[in-house]
Amino acid sequence: MIELRNVTKYFGRRVAVDDLTLGVPKGQIFGLLGHNGAGKSTAIGMMLGQVWPTRGEVVICGHDVTRRRQDALLRVGAIFETPVFYDYLSGWRNLEILSHYTAPTSPERIREVIDWVGLTGRERSKVRTYSHGMRARLALAQALLPQPELLILDEPGDGLDPEGIHEMRQTIRRLHLELGLTILLSSHLLSEVEQLCTRIAVLNQGRKVFEGLLAEAKQAQDWVRLRVDDFGRAVKALRSEKLVVDERDGQLVALAPGVGTDQVVRRLVEQGTAVYEVAREEQTLEDFYLELMRKDAVVETLKR
Amino acid sequence: MFYLQLRNELWKLFGKKRTYIGFLMFLLAQNVIALVFRFSSASGGMVRTLEGNGYLAQEYVSGLTIATVMLFPIAYILLPLYVSLVGGDLVAKEAEDGTLRMILSRPVSRFRLLLLKWVAGAIFSFALVMTLGLFGLGFASIWFPWKGLFVLIPGEVFSVFDVWSGLKHYAAAHWMMAPKAVSVMTLAFMFSCFNVKPAAATILALSFVFVNFIMMNIPYFRDLQHWFLTYHLNVWQFMFAQPVPWWKIGESLSILAGFNLTFLAIGVTAFQVRDIKS
Repeated sequence: MIELRNVTKYFGRRVAVDDLTLGVPKGQIFGLLGHNGAGKSTAIGMMLGQVWPTRGEVVICGHDVTRRRQDALLRVGAIFETPVFYDYLSGWRNLEILSHYTAPTSPERIREVIDWVGLTGRERSKVRTYSHGMRARLALAQALLPQPELLILDEPGDGLDPEGIHEMRQTIRRLHLELGLTILLSSHLLSEVEQLCTRIAVLNQGRKVFEGLLAEAKQAQDWVRLRVDDFGRAVKALRSEKLVVDERDGQLVALAPGVGTDQVVRRLVEQGTAVYEVAREEQTLEDFYLELMRKDAVVETLKR
Repeated sequence: MFYLQLRNELWKLFGKKRTYIGFLMFLLAQNVIALVFRFSSASGGMVRTLEGNGYLAQEYVSGLTIATVMLFPIAYILLPLYVSLVGGDLVAKEAEDGTLRMILSRPVSRFRLLLLKWVAGAIFSFALVMTLGLFGLGFASIWFPWKGLFVLIPGEVFSVFDVWSGLKHYAAAHWMMAPKAVSVMTLAFMFSCFNVKPAAATILALSFVFVNFIMMNIPYFRDLQHWFLTYHLNVWQFMFAQPVPWWKIGESLSILAGFNLTFLAIGVTAFQVRDIKS
């Protein structure tokens, strides 16, 4: 549904997106992760033909966005971080205005979408009277009106309270299950991405530093929690035997491929180390993300 | 489809309170001017000029004449202000508010969007000029009799008309004032297409008009005044001349059409190449 091929975007001399290649297959909830300013919104802007790439190719639903923007966006809906509308007009009027930029939309279709997002009864009120949550629902309604196949969500949880975030999460799941939409979710809220996405890409300073299944990210390394009397001495011994490849936080070790915890315990006992606890540690997305950022920072420092 | 989208643009434009500032200020200014003429000796100069030229002043100090007198300051100062306020808002305000990003996530071309907005702005400009004419005549007629029209533009026009002929010239002057309003609106619209704040687009357009006007009136530039936008913007006042210099009006309208096309081409190009970001 989405293909970015070697896309680069410069704003003046600053590179916002650097040689980004990305693919979002049909039917997935794809997470685009990165800190503020990592290039997520610029990448989304290029997908929607709002930002022109300096180099590279952006293909949406089989059409090149820079050359055939209208065809590319015909079945695409988008929601941005802060839902903005014509506050002095009613929710209904806003939906009419926005949907007519795609195609003439019948009142029945508008009614149907209003019902789906749960705004029935408030559609004739001016948008200035809407709460943040209602605006988020209206944003969803305008995105759903053209019966999209692809939904692009740029920081949809921003500014929502915990209830609102929960509701948004449930809605995204419904959109995926009930309407079968392909969803691109850009966020810096790792927990949201972790709960919703099947595949992710991580951006840092405009560059992609990871793309793959969420499950792969969470098992990128086999970490084991190790509580012993002398962690430093234990790690030294295990490294000399090539049983571990990494350590962190004074209690975690990454086992070498094919190494089991039984081998680790045996070696430690043999050298006389007191072992109190050995447990497999499933890496959270947060751990993975932070590790990725740390490694990338080291690589950048070395390059300089 | 185009009609639906244009209707939407008009909803957006006429749904905003600030769109009506111009109408409100015209109403206020015209009432004040009409009252000043009615309850002071402001019309004394007009009476002396008419009588000095052998006309019966009481036949021409009328609602039509006062409506035309009040037309000049409003058309020179207030009209450019309000049309540029709206023209400057059309794109820049949507970009500032973030609604432009919502629109441009839709499969609508940037050119089409600008065309829709420009047509909406032109409709507003036309409506504002027609309202100016109707309000002026309405308020002046409350305080002055329904008689002939006298128009004096020093060095350019000295005309007297009977009531119906005067009314025709008054209406024709407003038709010719609409291209002026549209041109100033298009100028502000052009600036609005750049990455600027709405107020900046309005100020830039007004500055352009005022600088043109000032330069045109500097004696050194007298011979070059045909090159200034403001010279052609004021073509409407020649509708009060006897006979009407149609060739001059035709020439100015053609040049204004050229200015408008240039402003639009610059605006469309700037908007086409720019990045729309939050």
